[in-house]
Amino acid sequence: MGLFDQPLAEIRDYIDGKYGEGSAQEFPFTPVIPRAEGAQVILSEDTGLELGNPGMPSRTLLLWDAGESVRDGRITLVGPDFPAASASSLPFAQILMVGGDFSDEYDCYRDLRDATYNVRLRGFMTRVFPGRQSIWCRVSKEALAGGFSAQVLGSSLIQALKKLDFVRSVEVLFVTSSREEVEELSGPADKVLDIVEALIKMYEEMNFDCEECEYVDVCDEVVELRQIRDKLKAEREGDE
Amino acid sequence: MSEDVGETASSAKVIAVCGKGGVGKTTISALISRLLYEDGRGKVLVVDADPAVGLGMALNRFPERTVNDVRKEIIGSVRERSTDSVDLAASVDYKMMEIVMDSGNLGFLSVGRPEEEGCYCQLNTLLREAIESLSAHFEVTLIDAEAGVEQINRRVMRSVTHLLLVSDTALKAVRVAESIRKVAADAVNYSKMGLLVNRARDEEEALHLSSRSDLPLLGWIPEDETVREFDSEARSFLELPSCPALEAVRSSVLQSGFLSG
Repeated sequence: MGLFDQPLAEIRDYIDGKYGEGSAQEFPFTPVIPRAEGAQVILSEDTGLELGNPGMPSRTLLLWDAGESVRDGRITLVGPDFPAASASSLPFAQILMVGGDFSDEYDCYRDLRDATYNVRLRGFMTRVFPGRQSIWCRVSKEALAGGFSAQVLGSSLIQALKKLDFVRSVEVLFVTSSREEVEELSGPADKVLDIVEALIKMYEEMNFDCEECEYVDVCDEVVELRQIRDKLKAEREGDE
Repeated sequence: MSEDVGETASSAKVIAVCGKGGVGKTTISALISRLLYEDGRGKVLVVDADPAVGLGMALNRFPERTVNDVRKEIIGSVRERSTDSVDLAASVDYKMMEIVMDSGNLGFLSVGRPEEEGCYCQLNTLLREAIESLSAHFEVTLIDAEAGVEQINRRVMRSVTHLLLVSDTALKAVRVAESIRKVAADAVNYSKMGLLVNRARDEEEALHLSSRSDLPLLGWIPEDETVREFDSEARSFLELPSCPALEAVRSSVLQSGFLSG
């Protein structure tokens, strides 16, 4: 059993459903030569395509699983690929599923997250607002004309995550099709947010008083969180 | 002429327009913005750091949210949800980008009204760093600073590379400019500094004033009927045609060794 079993299962159903409907396309991982730059700023006049503009729905999720559920190297796209988009702005979801050995869940979460934050690609601007799971990207006109695609972005993310020694497999899902198809992911996304926030609270605050904690319902539902709490509490008591 | 006190690490130029209240900092900032707008120099970030938000009015930029609003929103979201410092920094970056109003090569950011009471040192640091980090991606950042030395004292302008001191023809205004330079010498790692005398009758008046100070004189800006008209009609300075004040700023600030050297 893992922290994200339920949302992972729901996302798997979503992906399978989209393939079943014929509305998903699959790309394999292709090694990308990093052309790293700092966190870029792309102004409107230089933007070829905007993904997840703050006025549009967007979601970014990061889930991990010690089991074998993650299909390594698979990039699934629901909706138009970036160079083929007919609109200049699209809703956007970016779901990253990681398989590996996660001995310390919180350290692993931070390492995974930092790896995704540090993906810097020329002609690509990304900003995330973790409290809302929002992601906002701009692809420059130049990068778009040069073929910047879901496969390039997905491969870059996979490559960055697989540099971590505890990561065995990475799978990526992008949704660019419609507001509705991004919002279909709200159920699993809300669960992921609750679980991650409960995890952060446990490690950052080291307060184990469940009666006072606003995440008690989350821990009641996700047994693994309670196990982490018990482990942390035992470690702290051992230190005292 | 400008004082060169060494190179900074970044090639991005950050100009702070400082001086006593009422000397015309905002007008000078608006004139520089007009010259940098679509002039091929690359991306320009204009920061209205004066709580009076006059620069936004001069450029017809009325952002719905300011840096101070972002500060309040982040404080609210932290109270509601657990987060750590990395996610907090990501949230600040997201919201800062969200409030940049851009048009052509020019991005505009308003700092807004003074901060509410309460100690949020970590967040204030993140906000300052977010402005610095944002400005690093613009070829030029122009800050219309609050009057006096307060912002310099609070080190909110630590990344300034070019200190543009503005005075009118009053000796008192030059003395305030000197005070700002003194404070900035400790608080800001600037590489260029100079004095611009605004609303001068002629060069002689500007030279006479600067002879009573050790601040290097960049130039002088005449009273200008076109500028006055744009001000009184609340027209955007980004549409200002060539006029004596605009050309004086071009030669004193943009074409002199101050910015181009």
